[in-house]
Amino acid sequence: MAERFEEKHHHVTFEFIAVGTGRALKLAERGDVCAVFVHAPRLEEAYVERGVIVSGRIFAYNYFVIVGPSSDPAGIRGSESAAEAFRRIYRAGEGGRALFVSRGDNSGTHVRELSIWRLAGLDPQGRPWYKEAGQGMAETLVMADEMMAYTLSDISTFLSLKEKGRLTNLEVLYSGGEELINIYSAYVVESCGGAERMYAEEFIEFAAGPEGQEIVASYGEEEFGRPLFSPAASRLQELKALWEKLAGAQG
Amino acid sequence: MSIVEEVLEITLRSLAVSGTATLLASTWSVPLAYILAKPGRLRGLIASILEALVGIPTVLLGLALYMLFSRSGVLGFLHLLYTAKAIVVGQAILVTPLITVTACRVLKSARESFEEMALALGADDLQAMAIALRESLPGVASSVVMGFSRAVGELGIALMLGGNIRGATRVLTTAIALSVSMGEYDLALYLGAILVAISVLVSVTVKLLEEVQGP
Repeated sequence: MAERFEEKHHHVTFEFIAVGTGRALKLAERGDVCAVFVHAPRLEEAYVERGVIVSGRIFAYNYFVIVGPSSDPAGIRGSESAAEAFRRIYRAGEGGRALFVSRGDNSGTHVRELSIWRLAGLDPQGRPWYKEAGQGMAETLVMADEMMAYTLSDISTFLSLKEKGRLTNLEVLYSGGEELINIYSAYVVESCGGAERMYAEEFIEFAAGPEGQEIVASYGEEEFGRPLFSPAASRLQELKALWEKLAGAQG
Repeated sequence: MSIVEEVLEITLRSLAVSGTATLLASTWSVPLAYILAKPGRLRGLIASILEALVGIPTVLLGLALYMLFSRSGVLGFLHLLYTAKAIVVGQAILVTPLITVTACRVLKSARESFEEMALALGADDLQAMAIALRESLPGVASSVVMGFSRAVGELGIALMLGGNIRGATRVLTTAIALSVSMGEYDLALYLGAILVAISVLVSVTVKLLEEVQGP
């Protein structure tokens, strides 16, 4: 997306820092970055309220997936909902038949995982089968693979590691549903000014506009045989409602 | 568990893991240093290889050991991955070159100045070695302290082999990395201060002990 934008504005170059949503918003608060692309409605809401980030635009979505060993010891395949799948993992965990690796790092994925436990009416923290890795998605997936454990992942990190042959034991066992929708938004950082801010705003408009949406729709197709994200524009009202729900419900 | 209790738990784990790793490494590094302290071409070659390895990136060693300890690795059957034991093994290997190289320096000069004299005065080989070791004890202790400081301050091995699992393998450095990734800079600095304080305290304590013992 940045490449396409830079083609149009030759004098503009973007520098990207890939970090989890929690850190990205912290960098925004410190004024170290001019725009953020994030996916944790509850965290975003808190920073919007404090006036750190403004003019949010939803530009893409996909679904989190619950992955686990193909033997599926907790039997979550065919669960009616993500919360039901988590309940089954909890039961199997208590019975010593399953492990769950959590990101444990306040990232967008971690925040969502916690909200699903809450929906399931369970609190796994401190249970011996519940491992808090405190690491990034890739490291957490590798750990889950080694331990034959379950975890919640975004689809793109999972597919790219699977492609590289790093995850021999893990499979997607549950996906889809409103509970697992993963909404990506872009914001301008309020403290950013001048030309930098102007182009940050323009870039976000570009991402949410027709050209950007087209890129979103095809991203990853070449490498993984299927797109990793869906463009948000056609379902914007619905996504906004879901975003609001997530921002509130996860509090 | 409150945050204070958790920090205490992490600190004690750091001390235990890196302390064990350092002591373990010393059991082979000090004898190795003694052997290398004698002049000789092969010894010189080994010493220079070890010198080069002093600065090995911890993440590289971590990755290599991860491949060994992984379920699909050669040593996978040991089930060491993501345990504190794995960090101990990794850090012990990490600090071996540092302890050996620095201890070797001290032992070399001790061998030169005392051992020959002892032998000339009729001591046998073992007695001569004991004298050389005793004379260089403060220097060897410094080597071990340096080894501990490197072990307790490294991140790559603890992260890759331990996995930073809360309540199981989280140590000070991995907790700092996590705090930074969560944007909790204050907590990260606080943990960093504990880490530095530990290293300084260990170093000063060893120096004081040497002074009490006296030459």
